[in-house]
Amino acid sequence: MHDDLALFAEEPPMAIDIAVPALEMRGIGKRFPGVLALEAVDLTLAPGKVHALMGENGAGKSTLIKILAGVYQSDAGTMRIHGRDVAIKSPRDSLRQGIKVVFQEIALIDEFSVAENIFLEGHPTDRFGTIDWRKIRTDCADLFERIGFAIDPAARTGSLPVSQQQMVEIARALAHQASIVVMDEPTSSLTPKEVKLLFTIIRRLTALGIAVLYVSHKLDEVFEIADTVTVLRDGRHISTRPIGEHTDDSLIQDMIGRRIVDLFPRQRGPAASRVALSVEGLSTRKLHDVSFEARAGEVVGFFGLMGAGRTELAKAIVGYDPIRAGTIMVDGQWMTPHNTAVGVGLGIGLLSEDRKVEGLMGELPVYQNASLASLGRFAAHGFVDAGKERQAVQTYVERFRIKTPSLFQKVKNLSGGNQQKVLLSRWLMLGLKVIVVDEPTRGIDVGAKSEIFGLIDELAGAGLAVVMMTSEMPELLGLSDRVVVLCEGRVTASMSREEATQEKILNAAIGSQGRASHEFRV
Amino acid sequence: MSFASDRLEGAPSVWRRLIARQEVAVLVCLLALLVFFSVSAENFLSTRNITNVLGQASLALIAGIGCAVVFISGEVDISIGSLLATVAVPLIVVMNDTNSLFLGISAALVVGLAVGMINGFLCAYVGLNSLIVTLGMMFVLRGGVYLYTGQRAIADEAGLDSFIALSDGRLFDVLPYSAVIAIVLLAAFAYVLRYRPFGRQVYAVGGNSEVARLAGYDVRRIKFACFVISSLLATCSGIILAARVGSAQHIAGLNFEFQVVAATVLGGVSLSGGIGSLGGMALGVLILQFLSNGLRSLDLPTEWQLVITGLIIIAAVSLDEVKRRRAHGD
Repeated sequence: MHDDLALFAEEPPMAIDIAVPALEMRGIGKRFPGVLALEAVDLTLAPGKVHALMGENGAGKSTLIKILAGVYQSDAGTMRIHGRDVAIKSPRDSLRQGIKVVFQEIALIDEFSVAENIFLEGHPTDRFGTIDWRKIRTDCADLFERIGFAIDPAARTGSLPVSQQQMVEIARALAHQASIVVMDEPTSSLTPKEVKLLFTIIRRLTALGIAVLYVSHKLDEVFEIADTVTVLRDGRHISTRPIGEHTDDSLIQDMIGRRIVDLFPRQRGPAASRVALSVEGLSTRKLHDVSFEARAGEVVGFFGLMGAGRTELAKAIVGYDPIRAGTIMVDGQWMTPHNTAVGVGLGIGLLSEDRKVEGLMGELPVYQNASLASLGRFAAHGFVDAGKERQAVQTYVERFRIKTPSLFQKVKNLSGGNQQKVLLSRWLMLGLKVIVVDEPTRGIDVGAKSEIFGLIDELAGAGLAVVMMTSEMPELLGLSDRVVVLCEGRVTASMSREEATQEKILNAAIGSQGRASHEFRV
Repeated sequence: MSFASDRLEGAPSVWRRLIARQEVAVLVCLLALLVFFSVSAENFLSTRNITNVLGQASLALIAGIGCAVVFISGEVDISIGSLLATVAVPLIVVMNDTNSLFLGISAALVVGLAVGMINGFLCAYVGLNSLIVTLGMMFVLRGGVYLYTGQRAIADEAGLDSFIALSDGRLFDVLPYSAVIAIVLLAAFAYVLRYRPFGRQVYAVGGNSEVARLAGYDVRRIKFACFVISSLLATCSGIILAARVGSAQHIAGLNFEFQVVAATVLGGVSLSGGIGSLGGMALGVLILQFLSNGLRSLDLPTEWQLVITGLIIIAAVSLDEVKRRRAHGD
C-alpha cells in the first residue's frame, strides 16, 4: 500500500503493454428468470482509451458492468484481461484483476469518514498490521488536493449531499492500482463543475495507460470524452465504432433502433376535463412545494434524474409516506395523508417501482396476488368465496393476456411483464380512479415493454388518471399527455405533450435553468 | 450546495461531533447516577464498594464485548447466558479429574469455540436469522446443562488456588482480577475494532453489507468470526462465574444475555449494525451495575431494580430508534 497515489506519479503505476487489450469480453450472456439480459455481447477495451458503453435503460449496460465487477456471474462467454484468461466469481476477484467499478448507486459506508471510505478496499497498515490512520487522512487530503476536490476527509460520509458522495466514490477509484476503471453513469447526480472535474480526472487516468469504460446515455458527454463507442440494445451488441464516425443521429439510431412513435402506438382519445387528482403545495422530507393536477383519462409523466424525488412523490400521494405540508384531493375528496387505507378507499393506488418487495407475494398463486386488494368484494359472512374470486381474476387474465399456465401458478415464476400485469389487475379490480405507476417497465424485456405501454394507454382510455414516474425518455415522451420535471424535490418544468422536447426536459431535470451554473448546457 | 465554498463541506465543529455521540450522553448519565447515590446512600462511595461493583460488572463487560461486536456486524447473539452455564460443566469436570486449571479452561474454551462456530455457520454461511438461531441455541444449551447435571450443582473439588484467585484475588489488594481481565480484554478489542482492518471490516459489514462485499470483503467469514468471538468471550465470563460460585450450576447466567443486550444497546451500540463502540457498551454495563448496587444500598426492595432496569432498557431502545431515524434523515 506504500504507493497508493502512484496514479499521480510521472510514471505509469505498472507495466502496461499498449498493444494488448486491457479487457476482452467475448460472447457474454446472462439470463435472469423471465428476462434475457445479455446475449453474446463482445467488448474490447484498449489501454489508455475511454470506451463509452451506451444504450437505453434496460439495454444491458448495468448487467454487463455487474458481471465485470463480480456481482453477477455470466452464463456464457469468456474474459481476458491484459491477454490472460480470467474468471471473475466475486467482487474480490474483480478487484484483484485490477478492475475498479464506480457504481451509480453509491457504494460507501455512511457511518465512515470520507477518508476511510477512500481506503475501504484496503486500510493501509504498518508492519504490525495496525491501521495507519494518519496516513489515511493525509493521503486522502493529498489526493483531494491534487484533483482539486474540496471535501473534508474527516466528514461523516452519510452527511454529504449525493453529488459529493458520488465524487468520493470516483476519487476512490484513484486510490487503488486499477488498470481498468469502469464508471456507471458517473454524472447522474453531479453538478456541471463536478462533471468538468471528472473529465479532467478521466484524462489523467488514460494518460497513465488505464482503460476507462464510461457508461452513459448522455450524448454530449460521450462525444466529449470517449474514443470509441459500443452500443447495446435489448441485451445485444449493436455496434462498436470510433466516436469520429458517429453523429448524434447515428448514435440515437443505434440506441433506439425503432422510432419512438412506432414503439408506443397511442390509441386513446383526448382526456376528460374532470380533475381526478389534485396535489397542492406538497412537501415532504425530500419534496418541496409540489403542485399538479391529473385529469381523468390523462397520463401525467414525471421525469427526474436519480434522487430527484420521483419515488418519494409517488409514495406520498398514495398515502404510503408521511407529508409535511400540502393537500391531496382524489376525485374532489380530501385525502388523509400517510394512510393507504383511505387512499385505496378513495380510489388511488400505487404500482410500485420494486415489484418484488412492495408489490408481489412471490410464493402465492396468481389469483391471490390479483385479488388481494378486493377480497372484501368476494367475501360473505367473513369467508372469501373462492369461486367468485377466481372468476373475477380470470376475466383480467384474459383481458390483459397474462401468460400463465393457470391461476394457481406461483407469481414469482411469471416473467416481469406478466407480473406487472397481475399487479395492474389487482388495482383495476378494485375500481381505481387514479393509478400511480413508478418505473412501470423496470427490468422488463423490450417486447413486454410495449405491451405494458399498451396497457397504460388502455387504462387512461378507460378513464383512469395515470401518474407515471419514469427515468426513461422514450417512455415519457411516448405515453404522457403532460410532462412534469422534478429536480431535487422541486417541480422545475411542466409542459404539454406538444411542447415537450428531450432538450427542454433534460435542462429542467439537471436544474441548469433555475440554479447554479449557466455555463453548462446539456 | 456550491462546490467551491470556502469552508470544507460536511465539517461540523468538534463540539457538535462530541455531543452527537451517544457515549457522551451515557457517560453524563453514569456520572449523575454516581453523584446521586454518593449523596443519598451512605456506604456507596468507598473504594471497597466501587471495586466490588467493578468485579461484579466484569462478567457483563467481558461478554458485552462479544455482544457489541456481533451487534456492530449487524447480527445478534442471545445464546451467551446459557453458554455461561454450559462451559462451567467441562471446566469443573475436567479440573476435578486432572487437577489442572489449564486443562479445565481449555475444555471450556473448546466447548465455547464449538458453539460459536455452529452459531456462525448457521447465521453467516447458511444465512439463517441470528435471533432465531441463537434463541434455539440458548434453549439447547440450557436444556443440555439441566440434563447433564440433573439440576444439581457440580462442586469444584480440586480447590486450586489459581482458580479461587479468579474470584477472590485482587491486584495490589484493590482491583479484583476479574475486573483486570475485563479491562485488558476491553482495551484489546477496542484496539482491534479501531486499529485492525478486521475491526473496520466488522463495522463496514454491519453498516452496509452489500458495499462491504463490493469492496472485496468476505462478509460471511467476518460475521462467522464475530459469532466465534462472542462465544469465546462468554466462555471467559462463564469461567469467572464458575470460580465465583465454586461449581457448575444449571441456573448460572439465567437472563444474563438480556442484561448484556440491554447494557449494550444502552451504551449506544445500534441493533441495526455498523454503529457503536466498546466504550459505550462498558458505560452501559456500569450504569446498570451501579444502579443495582445503589438501589440495594438505599434498601429498596429488589423488585424495584427489575422495574427500573426494564424502564431503562425501553428508554435505550427508543434512543436507538431515534438514532436510526436521524441516520435516515427523518
